[in-house]
Amino acid sequence: MVEIRFHSLGGQGAVTLINMLAQAGDLVGRKVQAFPFFGAERRGAPVMCFLRMDDKEIALRSQIYKPDFLVIMSPSLIDAAIEEGTKEGTTVLINMAEEEARSRTADLPFAVYSVDATPIALDLGMEVEGLPVVNIAFLGAVSYMTELVPLEAVTEVLREKMPPSRVEASMEAARRGFTSVVEIRKSKAASRKERKSAVS
Amino acid sequence: MISMLEGSKAVAEAVRLCRPNLVCAYPITPQTHIVEELARMVADGRMHAGYVLAESEFGAASIVLGGSAVGGRAYTATSSQGLLLMTEVMFNIAGLRLPVVMTCANRAVSAPINIWNDQQDAVSIRDSGWIQLFVEDNQEALDTHIQAFRIAEQLMIPVMVCMDGFVLTHTVEPVELPAQEKVDSFLPPYKPSYRLDPDDPFTMGAMVGPDAYMETRYNMHNDMMEARTLIEQVARDYEAEFGRWHGGMIETYDTEGADIVLVSMGSLLGTMRDAIDELRREGLKVGLLKIRCFRPFPMNAVHDALQGIEVVGVIEKDISLGLEGTLCSEMRSAFCGEESPDISSFVMGLGGRDIKIDEIKQVARDLANNPSCRVEFRGLNEEVVMGDER
Repeated sequence: MVEIRFHSLGGQGAVTLINMLAQAGDLVGRKVQAFPFFGAERRGAPVMCFLRMDDKEIALRSQIYKPDFLVIMSPSLIDAAIEEGTKEGTTVLINMAEEEARSRTADLPFAVYSVDATPIALDLGMEVEGLPVVNIAFLGAVSYMTELVPLEAVTEVLREKMPPSRVEASMEAARRGFTSVVEIRKSKAASRKERKSAVS
Repeated sequence: MISMLEGSKAVAEAVRLCRPNLVCAYPITPQTHIVEELARMVADGRMHAGYVLAESEFGAASIVLGGSAVGGRAYTATSSQGLLLMTEVMFNIAGLRLPVVMTCANRAVSAPINIWNDQQDAVSIRDSGWIQLFVEDNQEALDTHIQAFRIAEQLMIPVMVCMDGFVLTHTVEPVELPAQEKVDSFLPPYKPSYRLDPDDPFTMGAMVGPDAYMETRYNMHNDMMEARTLIEQVARDYEAEFGRWHGGMIETYDTEGADIVLVSMGSLLGTMRDAIDELRREGLKVGLLKIRCFRPFPMNAVHDALQGIEVVGVIEKDISLGLEGTLCSEMRSAFCGEESPDISSFVMGLGGRDIKIDEIKQVARDLANNPSCRVEFRGLNEEVVMGDER
């Protein structure tokens, strides 16, 4: 079983993100369980989301404290995200430009990847009340980083679920998210390539 | 067809498949997505039902009472404070023998205000005369709603389907949607044997004095006790028709040869199944008893399932303040007058406190070391406890 924990802010679209990842996981024949944890709903408040993927049915329903992947959708959440629990071998994906990610994550003992999702969202008009909605760019980035669902499955879900007028921009956002992930740091344990066999 | 559905949407699909005449509710977290989706279905023409947005839960319960009294198939959903506000009407719905079906998206009760999951709401109104079924996952939530209408209409007893708020209502997981034709044949249109009708007037709910009130309650009690057989039968019929079994009144997992049995109801059972598997691998013989039907309480089934078991731990997300977890008290009642296993109460997960698999395993290990009967809160933060004292 692979476990992913997401840290985001209300309005970034994390709940939709895990829903779409679940749909994509289903398309490639995996069992998925995805759920959010949030307070009384409001924009800007921290939201955690959890996703489990496995080849067999998933019974466990507790939150995820030792994630295989930790997805941090806002730089303001780095400390909170790490405090919530990690393990040796956790891989981190963070929403940040490459240079900043290199300096900000220098002390972290994890494999770190970054994706500069905010410009992708803004460039494609994904904005609600002035806040960039980075979830679709992250959909592509998570697909790249975790290798659990291929980009084709992600774009298939977008084609099906997005309103027709938003399908093209969404598919583009996912593609850009997928292709713009940067490997900031290998963990001491394993690089992305070496990990591949363990995940599949 | 398998769909990746949020639990709330799975319930809305189940309700749509049951073709209710009336859906009436007042939105409250975490039930909201269920009634929003039903409203959308009615607005889009995917479902042909009257949809009434009530002014309060008291109003919603009263409106489904009326809809059911005139012979309609009526559905509502609520949570927490909403359920408590419905309580007066719920006793009436049960007493008038109206087969309303309700979803309770289980949530903690105020004060302090808390919107997260526990089961205090449904457990607190166990004496209202409603059948209460607790579900473990979203597939069971969907399947149990279809069973619920059939049980309710066959017995003229209302049914509440309890699903953990957020933990199930907001979780996306694979759910198989049955075909409409199969649901139609499993659940034929509701044909009430009596209903309010201006062309054939009669009085429903007239005052009953000391001469007959007690007999009415006695009959309700007997019918509830007899409902146990039908609930089991409907689950079997459902399995025959749809190929899925979630238990009848109860279900057991690995209780054969167990030294300790853990008991619970609702979504925690999933995590507990994994805990039991791990404990067995570690050499501790632990089994699991799932209480699927809380009212009527499956006394005989519980009694039989625990034959030869000496140690039982009941893990539940409610507390009867001043006694113990309520399910634990019910478990004890199954052994009235004879030698009982040691049954302990473990209160966990109140107000959305997450329950980790290690905490479940620790309960079993502690019971192995010390089986004596006790009541414990687990997972407390001692600093917060001390802060509250001040």
